[in-house]
Amino acid sequence: MRIEDLSSFNAAREAGMAKLLPSQPRIAVGLGTCGSGNGSEGVYHAFASAIDRLGLSYRLARVGCFGFCAEEPLVNVWLPGKPLVILHRVQENDVDAILDCVTQGRVPVEQALCKIEEWDHITAHIKYGSGFPEIPQWDQIPFFKGQKKIVLRNCGLISPSDIEEYIAVGGYQALYEVLIEEKPEAVIEQLKSAKLRGRGGAGYQTGLKWEALRKAKGDQKYVICNADEGDPGAYMNRNEIESDPHALLEGMIIGGYVMGATEGIIYVRAEYPLAVHRLNRAIEAAQACGLLGENILGRGFNFKIHLVEGAGAFVCGEETALIWSLEGRAGRPSPRPPYPAEKGLYGLPTNINNVETWYNIAPIIVKGPAWFTETGSPKSPGTKVFSLVGKIRNTGLVEMPLGTPLKTFVYDIGEGDASSRGVKAVQTGGPSGGCIPQEMFDTPVDYETLAQLGSIMGSGGMVVMDEDNCMVDVARYFIEFTHSESCGKCVPCRVGLDKSLHILNRVTQGKATEADLATLDELSRMIRDMSLCGLGQTAPNPVLTTMRHFRQEFEDHIRASRCRAGVCEELALSPCENSCPLHMNIPRYLQLLKEDRLEEAFESVFMDNPLPASTGRVCQHPCENRCRRAGIDEAINMRDVHRFIADAVFESDRFEAMADRIASHRLAPTGRKIAIVGAGPAGLTCAFYLSLLGHDCTLYDPNEKPGGMLRYALPEYRLPESTLDKEWEIIRRTGVRFVGNTRVGTDVGLDELENQYDAVFIASGTWRESWVDMAGNDLKGVFSSLRFLESVAKGRETDLGSNVVVIGGGNSAIDAARTARRLGAKVTIVYRRERKDMPAIPEETAAAEAEGARIIFLAAPQRIRGDSSGRVQAIEVIKTRLGEFDKSGRRRPVPTDETMRIECDTVIFAVGESAESEFARSSGIKVKDSGLIEVDRYSMMTSREKIYAGGDIISGPTNVSNAMGYGKKAARLMDEHLTGSRRFAAVFPQFEYDQTPPLHPSESRRHLVTELPEEERVACFKEATIGLTPVEAMEESCRCLRCDVRNGGE
Amino acid sequence: MSKVRLATVWLDGCSGCHMSLLDIDEGLVAVAKRADIVYGPLVDAQEFPENVDVTLVEGAVSNQDDLKLIQTIRKRSKMIVSLGDCAVTSNVPAMRNSIPVKKLLERIYVEGVQENPGVPAQGVPPLLKHAVPVHDVVKVDLHIPGCPPRAEAILYVITELLAGRKPDLTSKVKFG
Amino acid sequence: MPLIALVRKEVIPVPRKISMRIDGEMISATDDQSILQAARANGKYMPALCYMEGLSPVGACRLCTVEVSGVNRLLPACTTPAADRMSVTTNSPKLQQYRKIALELLFVERNHICAVCVSNGHCELQNLAIEHGVTSVRYPYSYPKLPVDVSHPRFVLDHNRCVLCTRCVRVCAEVEGAHVWDVASRGTNSLIVCELDRPWGESTGCTNCGKCVQVCPTGALAEKGRAVEEMVKREEPILQLVSRRGAMS
Repeated sequence: MRIEDLSSFNAAREAGMAKLLPSQPRIAVGLGTCGSGNGSEGVYHAFASAIDRLGLSYRLARVGCFGFCAEEPLVNVWLPGKPLVILHRVQENDVDAILDCVTQGRVPVEQALCKIEEWDHITAHIKYGSGFPEIPQWDQIPFFKGQKKIVLRNCGLISPSDIEEYIAVGGYQALYEVLIEEKPEAVIEQLKSAKLRGRGGAGYQTGLKWEALRKAKGDQKYVICNADEGDPGAYMNRNEIESDPHALLEGMIIGGYVMGATEGIIYVRAEYPLAVHRLNRAIEAAQACGLLGENILGRGFNFKIHLVEGAGAFVCGEETALIWSLEGRAGRPSPRPPYPAEKGLYGLPTNINNVETWYNIAPIIVKGPAWFTETGSPKSPGTKVFSLVGKIRNTGLVEMPLGTPLKTFVYDIGEGDASSRGVKAVQTGGPSGGCIPQEMFDTPVDYETLAQLGSIMGSGGMVVMDEDNCMVDVARYFIEFTHSESCGKCVPCRVGLDKSLHILNRVTQGKATEADLATLDELSRMIRDMSLCGLGQTAPNPVLTTMRHFRQEFEDHIRASRCRAGVCEELALSPCENSCPLHMNIPRYLQLLKEDRLEEAFESVFMDNPLPASTGRVCQHPCENRCRRAGIDEAINMRDVHRFIADAVFESDRFEAMADRIASHRLAPTGRKIAIVGAGPAGLTCAFYLSLLGHDCTLYDPNEKPGGMLRYALPEYRLPESTLDKEWEIIRRTGVRFVGNTRVGTDVGLDELENQYDAVFIASGTWRESWVDMAGNDLKGVFSSLRFLESVAKGRETDLGSNVVVIGGGNSAIDAARTARRLGAKVTIVYRRERKDMPAIPEETAAAEAEGARIIFLAAPQRIRGDSSGRVQAIEVIKTRLGEFDKSGRRRPVPTDETMRIECDTVIFAVGESAESEFARSSGIKVKDSGLIEVDRYSMMTSREKIYAGGDIISGPTNVSNAMGYGKKAARLMDEHLTGSRRFAAVFPQFEYDQTPPLHPSESRRHLVTELPEEERVACFKEATIGLTPVEAMEESCRCLRCDVRNGGE
Repeated sequence: MSKVRLATVWLDGCSGCHMSLLDIDEGLVAVAKRADIVYGPLVDAQEFPENVDVTLVEGAVSNQDDLKLIQTIRKRSKMIVSLGDCAVTSNVPAMRNSIPVKKLLERIYVEGVQENPGVPAQGVPPLLKHAVPVHDVVKVDLHIPGCPPRAEAILYVITELLAGRKPDLTSKVKFG
Repeated sequence: MPLIALVRKEVIPVPRKISMRIDGEMISATDDQSILQAARANGKYMPALCYMEGLSPVGACRLCTVEVSGVNRLLPACTTPAADRMSVTTNSPKLQQYRKIALELLFVERNHICAVCVSNGHCELQNLAIEHGVTSVRYPYSYPKLPVDVSHPRFVLDHNRCVLCTRCVRVCAEVEGAHVWDVASRGTNSLIVCELDRPWGESTGCTNCGKCVQVCPTGALAEKGRAVEEMVKREEPILQLVSRRGAMS
């Protein structure tokens, strides 16, 4: 069927419309590469055979992708008069049920993702119908909310291999108009006033580019579509071509006419077979209709398009290299000028535009430039398609107005982090782009702003990274990519990237120096400024931006041999070891236990962590967040295994012997004296290791007994005092002295300690409770959780009533609540955010609820009402809703108008603690405004040479293991500084144990500790959990996958 | 005024740089007035001494002994000067670098000899994987390239250093 | 542009006289010249390794990079056309620093052991290093293992000394018309190859003219039988040849 005039054009349109909106239901399966990869081919065939089998006359269509890749396979179901319903995650065995519904005039609501009542194809408007109130509108679900589909106007809705469907939604109408009007200059003017910019990345004005080619002299000119999309993580061009190839052809035919070209070439990645296939079919169809070839639309214009498959090199995406490649030469860029518009393919005038640029042509012609500039930012109008991938919940192709802030992509469309590990950065523009840190997520995504941050728009790749991504490794990865894709022509890119990669490899191995970083910075700038083509000029962007925004990660690798994300293999034993603040060799004690060598397992555990039974009960277990076993079933319960190991020894008759064995690792006395201020977890840990290193350690603490918060803030039911006593006994045997009831600052001066000792370590913690400023906070019955817990621990009288409200969501709030329950009170916890935002350990929260504590989420205290005696009577809280994301990646609670009153006689604030550091400040030590002591993170030294600090006093309140981690690190660094040599490793005994990873993962499930029945628990302060049994602990050890074994267990 | 403590050391090189040093002829007299040579192939000292002001290093770092010595030198010298191309670029000693050490030794000591083939294991320090420039292993304060550096360049550097100035070698020496 | 077109159809317009500033000094040039040509024609020094008069410029070594006022990026002088009222800076501290880095990178990329090289003392790379005050290289040496092709009866190709300037490739294709040489592979693996990667001695296209040897800036291409320091290249005959061909429009 040739289209030569309006009537044949309209005939095609009607034929297409009859396919899009037939009289029978239409079922369309998303068959882009992403859909096929998720099994949509099978779904399509299942539909086909079921429809045949049932003898239905439904229209079954193959369409492209609607963009929500994470939810593939997507299937559109349309019943006449009803909205188009998009079903998600459709599998072959869902097909019968779906058809069942459809034959009854319904859709399977539970499988529906969203519905479309009417759709703006830009070039046309389709009304599908209305109904299904229970299904959300497409633009109401987070992934699509705010998206504006101009480029993707037809994707996933029409069949890519049916030209009539394309014509039905307004396709080729722009071409028709342009050919009828015969005013090519007017089209260029339209593009210029629409300020359309090239979507390949550089953002050059398309109108100017077209004008240059139009003005270029020559009988033969070329227009080229650059579809050599090679960025890792970017696939928008693939989807556009697979889903809507005719829109590309139409843009190019218009371009050919306007610029006076006779031939168009599409240079498409050979790795996109489906795109190649659909384009070829589209070209054939367009030729058959007379929309391509000789005498197009009967208007005397001749234009051919052919397709060339790419040569597989990334650099062929650079326009001059692309031309070389088309000419049959090796794809190497050549200097510009001459620009392709003067001397392009075969030396003839040529225009090259990116796929997406071509897709914008028809809409601008049909709707006009004014319409186009309504969207986007003034300098960068229109939309851009991004492939949003990485560590976020929703991944896929999103088309957003230019200038949309980055946080909209991450938090609204992507709905935040996929794990709970906090989004850290977004990499835009692929290997040529840069990393933008979370603090800068307000950044509008447009050409200029990204460039200012050292990144680029590029072709639209957007990779979201979380705390599991090492930014040094990210930089290294991209340089490795560009290094292997460098064509080798110019010196800066060829050799410079090789040397950059060399330096980055050294950083990831912990072998680099600070001087290397300076060299890398200088070299990167030189490569950026001196390279011949875009590849070299942009290749250093990942390095420059990560060094700028994540300098600390580079320094950690260099100065502390530390890769926080645990990605750099040489710097981490295993993910669990790397995430443990104490760097416990976890695989080792699991293996020793598995080999039934309990005593050695104990030795291994205790030498790594001198409070193994306490931390075994109360640690936040960061190790579990990174455990690779979680990829199979659940993380290994490493914490409870070391609790088991410690308890087993503590309760056996081997305790004495084991205590002596630990103490026997003490090195010869050095004669150096060290004072430690504060006998909490940080102080005890530091004292233990310094004593083992042969130093003479004395702990000073205001309390009667050592343990700090472990003893005085953690309730007995979580951590029995007797457990802590055993641990202290072993620490004491290494030679540590304890001076109780002595507060540094009042009872003894810091300067005095400094004079008497060779070094001082301050680990005095954060004992000052935070207070909420509000009316009624001075009433009787209002106190802090810390004071309350401390009073209970010390056996003092508390002023607890019978109806208690606890404010806060941390561990301290839960501890206060559960303690109050045990004292017989009714408890309500008020927290201003949602459950998932609670900093408390989830198991603890669950236990509190099981014990009868009620939690009210999304509520903030407003005022406390008192009775005539001055006692608390009630608390008024204001309901909150979740607003914008804050710096912690959680949504900020915003007050609403709704308030509620909770009757109570006691209010406990558990809203955090702060540091009491006046004693340090008055001795001239640098203290931050927050009261925290400032230390150098690589030496733990304060502003005074002999004085070090660690634990909560430098970090603010965190948790036991973090504090201990600081104590351990400080011991190592203080010893290095005192003795001038690295002796720390000498303390640790060596263990021989099996180095073969399990052939098959053990099938055992994760074991948990046993909880006492709730009634029994709330009746007393007896420990609320019973540890693992020997069999459970053994089985748990066997579950380890042994990530620590290298070289296949050689 | 106490004399400047000057040391020279000969790592993996041909001694040509030391020859060039001797070629400063009467300059030696002037240097001797201001400096003591406390270590090097030209004097008797066995152990590299403490508190050296300037050490001139000839040769690349090729084996374990070179490595240990240069690290000691770094600790005990205020200033290290790489003297000549082997120290500066690794030069001729580096020509073996693209060949694996084991293969290299076998070629020379096993395949390449008629009598008593065998790689010597005792009395000779093990080779490093690569012969490298001195500044690859320790911080170097000044480089005098040349194979060997011209005597005038060496004298100029020593004179400037003795006068407490930092020499500027631009266009005074050949590179490579 | 001094491109040597193999087939010349179009009529080349008469070059227009222009005036421009190089490092502040006013010079006159013609608009068919590149910045580099204009500068050198006026006796101005312009460092370059890949550029050679009479061969098409490729902008590969980047040593001739200059600053042009009003342009916010650096431009290679060899491929950027000279223009009227253009003001060019050839020697800012930044350019000097970058050129030095480029030279250092060339030294570490392959095995340039000047002490035993036939071109020692007559090498363009070595001379540039001396001019730019290079006394050591901060980057780690690559020490690649590279072949030496001695199969040709008169000449030798030592890849250890090659800087990939492609002068040999261009002189052979554009002046001799044989196109024996080309570049194989990419990135740091790039290698000058003879025809479809065969030993030079087995080449069927090589005319044994030796132009490639004479234009090679280093000792990578040399005459056989030369000892250390003995290989002195003679470019003049080739320059005369290209000027006689009328290629210097």
